Amino acid sequence: MAVRWTIRICLLLFLGCLLVNACKKSGDGNSGPQLLDFPIPAGFPAPQYSFTGNPLTKQGFELGRKLFYDGRLSKDGNFPCASCHQQFAAFATFDHPLSHGFNNQFTLRNAPGLFNMAWNKEFHWDGGINNIEVQPLAPLTAPNEMAEDITNVINKLKADEVYQRMFTAAFGDETINSQRMLFAITQFVNSMVSANSKYDKVKQGKAAFTQTEQNGYTLFQSKCATCHTEPLFTDNSFRNNGIPVDPFINDYGRMRITNKKEDSLKFKVPSLRNVAITLPYGHDGRFSSITSVLDHYSSGIQNGPTLDPLLKNKIPLTNFDKFYLLEFLKTLTDSSFISDKRFAQPE
Amino acid sequence: MKLTQQLHRVNLPKLCIVLLLTTVVISCQKELHFDKVPEKDYNLIIKFLPIATYDSVPLVLGKPTKNTFKEEYTPTAFKFYVHDFILSNTDSGHVFKLAQDKYYLVNFADSASTEIKLSVQPYVYNRLFFTIGVDSAKNVSGAQTDALDPANGMFWNWNTGYIMAKLEGTSPKSSQAGKFEYHIGGFAGADNVVKQVECIFPFQNNLDLKPGGESRMFVNCDANDWFYNTWDIKIADYPVVTSPGTLAKQVAENYWKMFTIDSVSNIQ
Repeated sequence: MAVRWTIRICLLLFLGCLLVNACKKSGDGNSGPQLLDFPIPAGFPAPQYSFTGNPLTKQGFELGRKLFYDGRLSKDGNFPCASCHQQFAAFATFDHPLSHGFNNQFTLRNAPGLFNMAWNKEFHWDGGINNIEVQPLAPLTAPNEMAEDITNVINKLKADEVYQRMFTAAFGDETINSQRMLFAITQFVNSMVSANSKYDKVKQGKAAFTQTEQNGYTLFQSKCATCHTEPLFTDNSFRNNGIPVDPFINDYGRMRITNKKEDSLKFKVPSLRNVAITLPYGHDGRFSSITSVLDHYSSGIQNGPTLDPLLKNKIPLTNFDKFYLLEFLKTLTDSSFISDKRFAQPE
Repeated sequence: MKLTQQLHRVNLPKLCIVLLLTTVVISCQKELHFDKVPEKDYNLIIKFLPIATYDSVPLVLGKPTKNTFKEEYTPTAFKFYVHDFILSNTDSGHVFKLAQDKYYLVNFADSASTEIKLSVQPYVYNRLFFTIGVDSAKNVSGAQTDALDPANGMFWNWNTGYIMAKLEGTSPKSSQAGKFEYHIGGFAGADNVVKQVECIFPFQNNLDLKPGGESRMFVNCDANDWFYNTWDIKIADYPVVTSPGTLAKQVAENYWKMFTIDSVSNIQ
């Protein structure tokens, strides 16, 4: 009997002590940022970005989301990231060859859609950015885009109580600096994974192509897939696809980064996922429709010393081929991605 | 013996008491907060000093001076990254290395940044090594902080990479709106401008650090070196060098030799 009582009393005291411990002031009842999973879609390779130095958390993601939609990252408050990266256009700028920036200026190039960014090695049409964490600094400081200064942005964030709270929640203390801002944006943008198109469902055996889509897919595999490699629909290389230089913009692409003649007029191969909703096309948005891009490949390519060898003889396509390809490309639209509330402007 | 039988052998009441005592101790322990005793965590100050002409004239931002080609210029910014400090004694072979990835941005517009405070093992040293520039890894691994915070304005935002050293100002010799700008960087292949420099101490003036002592070392940084030897970089010819490449490499090869230890004072 005595033994039982000893056990009971001990247990009671033990629980009491645990309670005292739990109520200690230091841990204000908050267990810190909650880790989030980063699921890799079936068939995708390993991502380039690993989140090792910047763990993906709910609080970091939400902070990044707020930053992405906040105009205060720009000089006059009018140009958040989201002004050029619109969700309904898979985070490209819908129907704009070039986007609009500070003081009624155009951007240099067509804003690409943002999805599956964690699989990218280099960023921008010319690949000038070697790590996604530092990518936001380019539009943020470009005088024709957001036109802001990094220190100004950090000071604006520091002065805002909501941000003070959100940075603390995401990173454990109230320090607000450029690294943490960039980490948060990276968490948000890298979470934008698009892998739920009809194409993906067909691959998973959950849907079937129509005959025209299947014809298009077969053509795609033989004529396009070398550069627009599945499942990301890009091989992340830089190529000159025979688009003549615009004499007003004079954009020579990757040569601007490498200073090498052989990189003249080379631009990054864009992913074709969501292609039907990311119009217009090309690095300067000169093609207003997919059909005009197909026309370019079949009859418009300009020869030159750096033209991609695969395009020396153009890509012969009949009108039927173009129709089938178009039908297939439409199956790459991921409607659940563009309506995913997680990526929408926060309330 | 079976596991259940083993468990029966454990004296449950005793176990409970031990558990209780442990928990009591953990729960009731005061959280220990050591107030930091303001203790000096360095014994060597390396002070960088800008000079305009070898061995004599100090360089002052905003004040006109002349380079070796008699080109008048007024410097407005002079800054560079250093890291990976190493001290050695060539007689004994003794080497002392400091944390390799701690970066310092020496900015002559901010005097605090020109004094680098280090904690060094007491010894007699006759060589100083450090690296000017930012190693390749830090150029490709994303958002950095402290000295490497891109907010410091030593980072190319559209063509990722650090500006490792910067000298800029105005000059009547410049055809580019009277300005000259040398933003020198490049971390890959032939464009790499990161370099370890070696400084010899002045004759009979070694760094003699005693336990509990402190030393100060004054290192001259000669802006004139940017313009000549081995390459002639005239402001009239090259007012703007702001991207990695051959020209940036030449300017870097010039400035790698700009450091001279002027004097060392050992305070016991």
